[in-house]
Amino acid sequence: MQIKTIFESASHKWLVLGRDIEKPDLIIDTNQYMVISKNNTLLMDPGGIELFSAMLATIIKQVPVDKITHLFASHQDPDIISSLGLWDQALPNATLHSPWLWESFIRHFGMNNIAYAAIPDPGGQLKLDEVVLDFIPAHYLHSSGNFNVYDVEAKILMSGDIGAALESNDAPMYVEDFDSHIPKMKMFHQRWMPSNEAKNDWVNRVSLLDIDMMCPQHGRIFKGDDVKRFLDWFEALPVGLLNIK
Amino acid sequence: MSEENYSFFVIAALIAAKLDKATKVARQLSLTASNARAVALRAGEGAAGFRPLTEFIDRLANVTVKSSLAINKVAATLSHTAAQRFRTDDAIIRFEIIYKRSGDSKYINSLDFGYQRTQKQQQTLFQNYQYQLNELAGELDMLKDELRTAVILATLSRVEASQAGSLYQDALNNVADNVESAAKHIKKHIETSKQLVSNLQQG
Repeated sequence: MQIKTIFESASHKWLVLGRDIEKPDLIIDTNQYMVISKNNTLLMDPGGIELFSAMLATIIKQVPVDKITHLFASHQDPDIISSLGLWDQALPNATLHSPWLWESFIRHFGMNNIAYAAIPDPGGQLKLDEVVLDFIPAHYLHSSGNFNVYDVEAKILMSGDIGAALESNDAPMYVEDFDSHIPKMKMFHQRWMPSNEAKNDWVNRVSLLDIDMMCPQHGRIFKGDDVKRFLDWFEALPVGLLNIK
Repeated sequence: MSEENYSFFVIAALIAAKLDKATKVARQLSLTASNARAVALRAGEGAAGFRPLTEFIDRLANVTVKSSLAINKVAATLSHTAAQRFRTDDAIIRFEIIYKRSGDSKYINSLDFGYQRTQKQQQTLFQNYQYQLNELAGELDMLKDELRTAVILATLSRVEASQAGSLYQDALNNVADNVESAAKHIKKHIETSKQLVSNLQQG
């Protein structure tokens, strides 16, 4: 599994983990993100059971496991958090931040040691030492209880399934040409995202944020002007469609 | 795939399912006992010898229902423990892959706490599993012994039925058939379960 630092400052750094060439072919490729501050680490959308060994083996090259104090699951899907039962065995002291809506569902993955911090619908905040991270509501994009994570200092938005693209696990980590990237995203957004109203509301709110990097859970990271290009494209895209041309 | 080739946690669930069926048959035996009492009452003096047998059928039904419910509970607990054991074993395997693949990682030692905690849990689960398995085997043997009475009761019921008036003979024979059939079915589930338990004990 590859790991790359995408932001670094005196207080913290962001890393992306993914493009695992050893992952079984039939499971969707995923990006996992990690924020490391002085004494804490947040692991975002840690992935499915199949990824657990590769993830943990990669992470312990960066931080000791007892420093992984927080997990975040944007929603309840298996590619997001089905590894929870294994993290529960590995982490001595961690809290999972996830939508309140999914608590009793996510607990089915097995949770005896990790604490569940339910995020209310309007969102919330997590403080990692001096770093403040905002949980931005992204309900119905695609899950009915869904959040993004925004870091005002790093100007990074971890956007979960928003901005996701279906492509091979050797694809570059960043979008290089937005127009040629569109066909890889279009069907995903039109079929998985159910609500135009929720989509437009999200675009309006997120457009007010200062974003340098938008980091989806599948596909490539959007940088600089490509973030604005994505927001414009997404706003104009009709979603909730079954027969996609 | 034959049942013996399933993973241990699937076999544990299979045992629980078979014993659930046995409990349902045991409940039918209770109905037979009530029916036997009613027939004996209606037959009056014509089935005087049959009446004491209804008490034994009743007792057998009660013991069988109680016992199969208890066994079912042990089997369900065993199935739960087996599934937990499987998950813990899986976590251990994944920890060991990481130790093997990333032994030179800077923070590899930080895994030790989680690994040791999981190993401890694995040990406890294994002990609980063995205990529950033995408990289940003992309970199955006890119920099997109890069911020996059923064969005797069915035979005696037939003897008494032959001496009853022709009006009630069929009904009393039917009671005997039901006792015999219920016992046979429960025994079959017990035998299969015993075989599966024995496989798990050896595995």
